[in-house]
Formats: sequence, structure tokens, C-alpha cells
Amino acid sequence: MNRQDISRNPDDPRLGFRAWLLTDTPSSRLHARCVAFYAGWLKLRSNTMAMVGLGILILLVLVAAFAPWLAPHDPLAQNLAGRLQPPLSESHLLGTDSLGRDILSRLIYGSRITLYIVALVALIAPIAGLLVGTIAGYAGGIVDAILMRITDIFLAFPRLVLALAFVAALGAGIENAVLAISITAWPPYARLARAETLTIRNSDYISAIRLQGAGPIRIITRHIWPLCTSSLIVRVTLDMAGVILAAAGLGFLGLGAQPPSPEWGAMIAEGRRFILDSWWVATMPGLAIFTVSLAFNLLGDGLRDVLDPKEGG
Amino acid sequence: MLDAAAPPKKIVEVRDLKMHFPIHAGVFRRRVGEVKAVDGVSFDIHEGETLGLVGESGCGKSTCGRAILRLYDITEGSVVIDGREIGHIPQKELRPLRPRMQMVFQDPQASLDPRMTVAAIIGEPLVEHTGLSRDARLERIYELMDAVGLNRNFANRYPHEFSGGQRQRIGIARALALNPKFIVCDEPIAALDVSIQAQVVNLLEDLQKRLGLTYLFISHDLSMVRHIASRVAVMYLGKVVELAPRDDLYETPLHPYTQALLSAVPDPDPASAEKVKRIILQGDVPSPANPPKGCNFCTRCPRVMPVCHHEEPAFTEVAPGRFVACHLHDGTKIPEAPAAAAADQQGDAT
Repeated sequence: MNRQDISRNPDDPRLGFRAWLLTDTPSSRLHARCVAFYAGWLKLRSNTMAMVGLGILILLVLVAAFAPWLAPHDPLAQNLAGRLQPPLSESHLLGTDSLGRDILSRLIYGSRITLYIVALVALIAPIAGLLVGTIAGYAGGIVDAILMRITDIFLAFPRLVLALAFVAALGAGIENAVLAISITAWPPYARLARAETLTIRNSDYISAIRLQGAGPIRIITRHIWPLCTSSLIVRVTLDMAGVILAAAGLGFLGLGAQPPSPEWGAMIAEGRRFILDSWWVATMPGLAIFTVSLAFNLLGDGLRDVLDPKEGG
Repeated sequence: MLDAAAPPKKIVEVRDLKMHFPIHAGVFRRRVGEVKAVDGVSFDIHEGETLGLVGESGCGKSTCGRAILRLYDITEGSVVIDGREIGHIPQKELRPLRPRMQMVFQDPQASLDPRMTVAAIIGEPLVEHTGLSRDARLERIYELMDAVGLNRNFANRYPHEFSGGQRQRIGIARALALNPKFIVCDEPIAALDVSIQAQVVNLLEDLQKRLGLTYLFISHDLSMVRHIASRVAVMYLGKVVELAPRDDLYETPLHPYTQALLSAVPDPDPASAEKVKRIILQGDVPSPANPPKGCNFCTRCPRVMPVCHHEEPAFTEVAPGRFVACHLHDGTKIPEAPAAAAADQQGDAT
């Protein structure tokens, strides 16, 4: 079936859902959005590396969701008799750590913690950045100067050092780690949102909307935010690798998730003592961090090609 | 044109409009000067007519159009649209007046939100100003699409799926949504192919006839302005140098700048084209941040006189309906209109 044949009879039931998604004449706004979304999906699908990244992330979500059924052992159950067993040993596919806990099970449960951190940071940081950036960009003048200088102050510190300072002040723990990472992650989003706002606010379609009498709140929420989101989404996916590493770094330094919780960074920290004799204890969580970070980066690259707002859709 | 017994109603009165943009420089962002984009412009537009506003790039024509619609906070002057002074009222009070005045933009791509469907773009003013139900709104959107010649089936497409001419039609439909009386057309055809330009101009003329619209048609295309406008104002460096009924202006331009501008219009007939003497201006347009003393045009005027360098020429009515700001015509004021009152009476004489 080629596209022309389909578009001639968009309502022909025989052609089904795919034709409905490919029609040239959408029948409603929702339909138009679905069509645009499907076109974006087709474009993303043609990018093999992005699909690999997406596949890994879907796998990660599934693993996290079904952890109790997938994990061969209890992640917290200790077995001092069977400590530091190498990979592929009996009933321990990836070996055991210094307390005899099954590394595979810990990795599987650890994916939940990683996803929890990633999801929360991906919600908090871009939204905070979007608010600050669009307000600064649209208001201009003194508001812009103040908000952007605050942003600059946050940007002046290395991310992990600032996060360390916040965790040290707030106390160790996974929620505080999320908060600390979010506090250090929002400034780049604010900058990005401000830059987008500056170009959008001077465009003719914003002039047209102002000519209709729309106020600043309506312009920001209805027109500037939707146009900023695509570049923010791309930035989020590219940033996630950094967030995972920051969370792992905090865990490694003992300021993130606390033992015995199977956080990947904390697992590396535990394995550090045996790294010369029992390499797998630190390597397996390291590989997990590497794989997930890579997956986010691949997906982010693919999304950047699809979500360019200038292309429309 | 409209020289019937009753004088046509003025729908737009612009008096001494000034739009200066500050220039900030240095560490402390001190104000070091200003760009005088529009510097004392006065004209009237009568109901149902098209006033052409021409001039070279950067002379302030677009700024003038935007300032009249209060997209900027104007520096000085007064703008009366449909009997209401809107020059300095806050945007909030302006909101209920917005439906009366709309704008068609130069770049049809840039004037449409790329994330919105055509129906959403055209329907937005309706959401903003009317309490129409969803269905009534959709009906009105379809009506508008019919009016500008867009296929109804395209209502849920995105702007990037359209050609330039179609996009401009979307922009026109949006401007028409609230039944405006006055539309500023800011170079609506400059970004279009020549073949499409004619279509869009014909559409604008057709809509004017059907809906009784009044246009301020900003353009640098002198031939197109000659086609569409009933009166023409010529701008140079932030000021209107000449304002006259179309035929008078094109046949006997009075200001040396208008003469130079018109001599640059290509003539399709090679025989007569050879006879026309091109007036080629020397030098560049001075910076609007630092305009010359006296007449703005004195640095490039082929007929410059000593007086031009120190005295600014007044914008006076030299013949019924014909205004010019040039010392060459200082002696030719029409007797019954004293120079001081001339600017206020300019509309009545046409």
C-alpha cells in the first residue's frame, strides 16, 4: 500500500488504523496530533541506534516493573558462606558480593532506584528550568537579569560538588539525592528555555497573538511552553546519562541511597575494596550504569532529529 | 475614488507619531541615544480606502504599522482608530478594541505558530474574544477558510504542510476572524512568488469590496501599491515626505525622493523605458540614530539648497489632498489653508 492510495479514502474502514494515522486530511485536532505523532515515530523508527536505545530503556522499565518475578534471589539476603563467588557460578549468574548477596538480583532491584531517581529529576529539573527561563526571557529587563544571575551562580559550581554540598546539608538519603541533583540540574534548562523564549517572543506569530489581545500568561502557557518543550525533551534525554552518573556518584560517596539498598553506585563503592581479586563486584553495576546511560544518549540523539520544532509536526 | 458629496469618514488618524528605540551601551547599560525609527508621522485613512505606505528598507514603514496597532509603546503622538484614542492607553484597555484592528504579516511562515493546526490558528482570536461554542467556532473557521479560498479539509493540518501563498491565506483568515474594520498589511506579498503575489493581492481587494475593509498597505513594491492603493504615502528615514492620491503621485511626484523612487520602477516597454531618466541617488541612507540636521534627505537630494541643511521642511498641503515636506514647495501652499493648520485639515480636502 502506498500513501497516495490511502489518503484518497481516509474513511475507508478496510484500510484500518494505519491509514487513519497517515491521512492527509485529519478530521479533528486530536486526529491531527496523532498523525503528527505517528509521522515523528516513523522518523524515529528509521534511526537504528535510537531504537536500540529505546529498546534498552523499555527493557529497563520492564525489569524494574517485574523485579520480584525476575530476580532469582532476595537482593538483601546474605550468605556469608558463598561470598565473592565469581560469575557463572552455581545459581549466581553474575556472582555474589562481599556479603554473599546475588549481584544479578541486586542489579534488577537497583534498576527501580535508578528509574525512581531519573523520573523524579526528569520531572523537577526541566519544569523548574522552564518556569524560570520563560519568565526571564519574556519579562526581560531587571527580572531577566536577576533570574539569570542566579542561574549563573548555580552553573558556576561543578555539578557533583554542588550536589554533595546540598546532600551534606540536607542529610544522606535517596530523596535528598534527588533533590540535590535537581537543584544542580535545572540551570541549563533555564538557559535553554530563555534562549528559546527570546527567539519566540519576537516572532510574528506572537505579535499576531498580542494583536488579538492575549496577555503574557496566555502567551507563555499556550504558545511559548509548547514550543520550548521539544528542545527540553531532547535535553532531558541527553542529560539523563549525567543524572544517572551523578546519582551513582553520590551513592559511591555514601551520600545517596544507603546500604543495604541495592543502588548501583553504592554497589560499585562496596566492590571497590575487592576490585583486584573480585573484579565482578564493581564491574557488573558499572556495566549496568554504562548501558543505561548509553541508551539515554542514543535515544536523545534520535529524538533531537525528530523533534526539531522548525520542521513542524 | 470616493469624492462623493459627503466627505468619507476617517477611520484612522495618526498625528505626529514618534517611535524611538533606545540604544543602551557600556557596562551600566546607559542610554546613549535612540533610533528614531518613526519620527513625527501624520496621516489619515478614510473608511474603505487603501493607503499605500512605501519607502526603502529600514525607513520605518513596518515600525509605523506596528506602532499604529500598539504592538509597541509609542514614544509620542496620537493614534485615533474608529473614534477612539489608543496612542497611550494601557494594553488591558486596548484588549476589547483589538477586534477592530488586525494585521497581516510579511513572512507567512514566521507568523503562524508551527505547533498549531490551521483551525486552531484561525480559531484563536475567536477563543480570545467570543464565547462561541466549539461547533459554532468550527463553523466560523470553515466560513473564514472559504472566504480566503482554503480547502476545508485542510483545517487540521499544520502550517508547514502548506505553500507560501496558502500560509498567507491562513494569516489573512486569522486577521478577518473578528470582523475588523482596519487591517495593516505589512508587506503581505514581499515573501511570495510573483505568481502568488497577484492572487493574494486580488484576494485582499476582493475582501475589501465584500467586507468594507480599510487597509494600510505597507510595501516597497511601487507597482503593486499603484495597483491596490487609493492614496500613497512615501516614507524616508522615519518621516512621510509626500502623501498624495495615487494618480497624482505617480504622474507628477513633487518630492525629489519620490521622483528618484519612481524613476527606479522598471518600465515593461523598452521604447519608453529608454526615455525615462533614472535619478540615481548618491550615498547611503543616514543612520536613523543620527539623522542629518535640517531636512532628512539633504545628504542625498539632487536638488539640495542651502536652507535644507539647517531648516526642517514642514509637511504642508501644496494642492488639494497633496502633502509634501520639501523646501522646493515652500511658496506653493494653497492660500485658504494656513501652514499651521494644514496638517490637521489634510484629510478633509481629499
